[in-house]
Parts: sequence; structure tokens; C-alpha cells
Amino acid sequence: MKLNINLSQYRKSEILAAITVGFVAIIVLNLFYIQIIRHNYYKQQAYDEQVAKFVLPAKRGQIYARDGTSVIPLVLNEPVYIAYADPQQVKDKQNLIDTMNSIAGGNMVKDYKTGLDNKKLRYVVLARGLKHDQAELLKQKNLAGVGLTASDRRVYPEGPLASQLLGYVNDEGKGQYGAEEALNSRLKGVDGKLQAVTDVRRIPLTVSERDVSIPAHDGDNIVLSIDRNIQSYAETALKNGLNKVHATKGSVVIMDPNTGRIMAMANSPTYDPAKYNEVEDYSVFQNGIVSDPYEAGSVIKTLTMGAGLDNGAVNVNSTFNNRGYVQIDDTKISNVEEDPVNANATMTDVLHYSLNTGVVFILQQMGGGKVNLTARNKLYDYFHNHYRFGEKTGVEQAGESSGIIIPPTDEQGNNVRYTNMALGQGMDVTMMQVAAAFSSSINGGTYYKPTIVGGTTDDGSTVKEAKPKVVKSGVLKAKTSSDLRDMIVRGRQLGALGGKDRPGFVVGGKTGTSQIIDPKTGKYTNANSIGSYLGFGGNQTPQYVIMVQVKDSKAAGYAGTTAAGPIFGDISNWLIDYLKIVPN
Amino acid sequence: MSDRNNNTFISRRENAWRRNQNTTKFEHSTKLGPVSHTVLVAMMVAVLGLIYLTQVTKTSSYGYAIEQLNTQKTELVAKKSELQVESARLKSLQKIQSSQVAANLTQPASTDYIR
Repeated sequence: MKLNINLSQYRKSEILAAITVGFVAIIVLNLFYIQIIRHNYYKQQAYDEQVAKFVLPAKRGQIYARDGTSVIPLVLNEPVYIAYADPQQVKDKQNLIDTMNSIAGGNMVKDYKTGLDNKKLRYVVLARGLKHDQAELLKQKNLAGVGLTASDRRVYPEGPLASQLLGYVNDEGKGQYGAEEALNSRLKGVDGKLQAVTDVRRIPLTVSERDVSIPAHDGDNIVLSIDRNIQSYAETALKNGLNKVHATKGSVVIMDPNTGRIMAMANSPTYDPAKYNEVEDYSVFQNGIVSDPYEAGSVIKTLTMGAGLDNGAVNVNSTFNNRGYVQIDDTKISNVEEDPVNANATMTDVLHYSLNTGVVFILQQMGGGKVNLTARNKLYDYFHNHYRFGEKTGVEQAGESSGIIIPPTDEQGNNVRYTNMALGQGMDVTMMQVAAAFSSSINGGTYYKPTIVGGTTDDGSTVKEAKPKVVKSGVLKAKTSSDLRDMIVRGRQLGALGGKDRPGFVVGGKTGTSQIIDPKTGKYTNANSIGSYLGFGGNQTPQYVIMVQVKDSKAAGYAGTTAAGPIFGDISNWLIDYLKIVPN
Repeated sequence: MSDRNNNTFISRRENAWRRNQNTTKFEHSTKLGPVSHTVLVAMMVAVLGLIYLTQVTKTSSYGYAIEQLNTQKTELVAKKSELQVESARLKSLQKIQSSQVAANLTQPASTDYIR
């Protein structure tokens, strides 16, 4: 079909009008297509270009400690700034260097000048750790190509106090070791979110219905149960005690046996958490009290005694024929040479002289007269199910070990093994496990979860107290606990260490010197033994439990007596005054 | 003159109405044509648009005000944190132990208890 249009029949104005109408129609149709049909698409595209998403960082919670009845900060946040330069944007390099040096002299990083010369780089750090005032001065200078990044830094007003207990926060803002790692989820908070239409300078204009504004939820400010004065004294006493016996390492834990609250955790050697990146020996980061299980030695005899009394195998008046040794299967268990041989040795003698034969007697009585499966089962029940050895205590510390306790049904859980376990050897326990178990044995028989968290605070002064958590009641019967307490007190008073106690107060304790296995021979050796002391103090009611551990003591005699014992006495006598304990 | 005025009955009420009605009709000499109407409508739309823009701009300006207040708050919080840190350092055990006041303190010779 041929289209035959004769334009000559129309006037020019009519043709022009038709063309105009045609153009307008095209535009209108196009607008209709864009605005109506593709409305949602272009609206979303415009929104995506105009809107920006911001993360509102949550503030990491601060950590506080006790100072008697008040609260003091141990870990705070301090705003700091990183000054950086974009070498491609820098116009006057010398002016930049001079200005930066005058404002941030001590904070300048090394070799920043080399970075400035490299025009391929877009980000060169000039200075770190600038304070707010320095950052403000720098902003006022308005140097081309220089910018600032703000962040928070953890600061430790008390210096290295309780460093292993606290841990530190790494460059990525993540808690490492100690409470910082264990309580990271509570401390870090939850970042907020802001999604809003912005101007060209990325300033939110808050005009869109689709704006999202979720405020950040700051981390909890945690108040530790640690008392800074007790912590400080424990650290000093430990350091002095180690120096006296030329020992290399040691630890002290002090806890309230009636609540499970830890009053102090001291380790030596230690480090400054503000300079954690300068530490070469990473083992100092660990809080050995919770992470290093060991054969605690004779301090465990108090717990074996508690099991024997509670189980009815022995009572406070029981006696046994102490021949100085006892044969268990193919192994001869002996007392130390200087211990007396006594036909009517008492249970108090067992604790006073730390008689291995006495503890074996208790184990034998559990088995009806000899060490057998029944005896092993009963001891395991007390050690594992009552004292919770082999289980983590749940104290808020990173890297806690559960220790090792071999069940009686295991091939290695034989009579000799269980005899050794009754003496405190042949199983690995942490100081935290021992101190918590000991607390439950002398407080009437309640196992409280050991905790370093005393509560939280919003304003740094008012504390929302955390309640003590009972893990197990009836660890020992109340009567057993009372009898055991009296025996431990008598055991200490009869020894030389008890003579230095403050009169009028109830102080009890037990030494322990652990032989360790020589890796060359695979046998126990006295070289490099570990000295421990486990005790309590107070009046009618025990107010504190202290456990001391000293490694590599060079002093003559048993390390439990010569190295760990004096540290216990020093702290115990000081605590009686500090806690204002009323004498009996 | 209609027949009604001469022959039909006119009620008193109707007569009264007639008496009170305006007898003069006022009319504008100028009339608005379609173009004027269009211009007026366009102007009204423009005014409404301006009002809308004013409101939107006003809301946007709140964004700047909020941003400014946020910046101010951040600065004050930063200063507060620095002061808290300084205060804590001055109250630290190390500082107290090395102070002149602490140096002049002495240990109590003995402790007695009053029963």
C-alpha cells in the first residue's frame, strides 16, 4: 500500500503545529514511561545515590574495681586520633612536616617522611595516639591532604595492676586474655546504624521516611569483685616473697569463701597492658591461676580428709598405725624422712605432719580397709562431683583449663594412681579449682561459682550488685565442714607457720610441695618443685581463702613451707586489718 | 410589565421580598479569560510548591543542626573522657603511694579491740 500524503494541501503553520504536537507527545510518553511505569526503579536509584549508611560504634564498657566500699576505674576509654596524609593531595610537604612536628612531636611515627615522598600511596600514617586538643589544633591548621581518624584507646590508670586478670584489647578492638576476652561480648556492646539521605558532604539530612536510625548500645561497665588494695598488697607480697627465695614465678588467689567472689589474683612476672605489644614472652599474658593446671601436692590432703570425714570412713578421733610407709600394689608410699612414726597417729597429725600414710589410711577406709575400686569410686565422686575437679569453674577469665582427673574405670585409674591423687599428685588441677573447692569445704559445704564480677555500673559510682551463684550445695555436711575447719586450724597452729598469726583470729592452712615429673627420666623429682599454701582466715566464720603457688624456689627445705607459707602469712595478717575482722 | 403585576394576586410576603431586593446589579467591567485563569492556577501551584520547598528545606536544616549538635556532643564527651582518665591517674595507688602525704604516714604500732 502506498502512502500518498500531499503536504501542499496543509498550511505551513499546521505542519509546524503537528510536528510540535508530535514532539510533545513523544516527550509526554517518555515522561509517562519514566515517571509512571519505571517510577519505582528510578525512585530506588535516586534513593541509593542520596542515601548513606553509617555505623554508630558502641563504646566498649569500662572496667572498675573496688576500693573498700567505693568503686575506682581500672580500665577506661580515652579518645585518640590517628593523623594521616594522602601524598597525592599534599601541597607543601615541608610546611606539613614542620606543623605536624610542632603539634604531635612525640606521637609522630617513624619513617613517615619516606611515605610522603611516595606519590603512589594514598594513605600514610603521620602520628598515632593524638589527644583531643592536638587533633583540634591540627584541624585548625587545615593542612591540604591531611586527615584524622578517631578511635578509643584502653587506658589503665593503675598501671600494671591485675594485668593478667584484665587482659588487653588489640588493635581490632577485640578483648584478648583475662576479663577483656572472657567478657568481650558484654563489654563490646552493639553497634548502631544510621541510614539517611545526605548532602554532598555526607551530612545526614533526615528527610526521608525510609531513614533508619538504630542507636548504639554501649557495652556494660563492669565492676569487678577485685579490691585494688588487696590486689596491690597481694602483688607486692608475692613479689617480695619470690625475691626472698629467688623464685622465678608465682601466683596468689584470694577469694571470699562465702560468696565465691575473687578479691585478688596476682601473678609474677607480670606486664603492663598499655604496652602489651612490647611483650616478648607471650606466656605472661596467661593468668596461670586459671590456665595452668598442676599437681597441687599436699594441699589436696585437706580435701581428701574432708571426703573421708564426710563419707564416714574416718572421724575426728580416728587414729592409725603410722609405720612411715605403706605398700599399694607394687608401689611403696612413704612419708618424708623427718616425719614421726607413731602407732596412734591422729587425723590432725595427718594434716600437721602431712602424713602420706595417713591419707592412704583414709583412702583404705573408704574401700573397707584397702585401696580398691570402691575406694577409688568414692574418692572420684568427691573429687569430681563434689569438688568439681575436671570441670571448669566458670570464672570470667579467658583460657580456663578444666584440668585432668582420670576416672577409676580408666585403665590408668588404678590403685596407685588414686593413692597418688589422695596425696595431691597424679591429677592436674588449677589453683582456681582448688581454692573454690577448698572454700566449699570450709564454708559449710556450699560450692559457689568463683567470680570476678561484682556487678555493673552506669555512672561509675552506683553498683548494681551481682548475686553469688550456688553451683552445688552439700559438698560436705555442715558438721564435716566445721570439723575439717577445726582440724586445719590445729594443723597450722601446731606448725611453725601458725606462730606468726595474729592472736584472736582463726587461721588455718596446709602446705604442699609438688614434685614434678622429670621429662628426661619420666619420674618424680624434687628439683624445681612447686610450693603451695592453701588456707583461710577470719573469726567464727572464714572471711577469706588464700592460695599461694611458688615455682622454682631456691630456698632450702620444702617450698610449700619455706616459700609459699610466708607469703600466705604476710597477706593473711594484713587482710585481718584491712577487712576489719573482729577477733573471736 | 407582566400580567402578574397587574392581574394576579401577590402575597404580602412576596411583595415584601420584592421591596427589599436590590434593584441594581453590579457587574465587573473586566472579565477573566481562560489564559488568566491558567496563569492564576499556575501561580497558585508555584506558591504551593514554594511552601512545600520551604518545609522540606526547613526539615533539611534540622539535619545540619543535629549534625552540629552531635559534633559538639562528641567533643564534649571526648573532653570528659580525657578528664576522667586524668582524674583516675591522679587517684591511682601508684600516685598516692608516691605522694608526700603518704610518705609522712606511719604504720600503727598495735591494734586493740574494744569488746
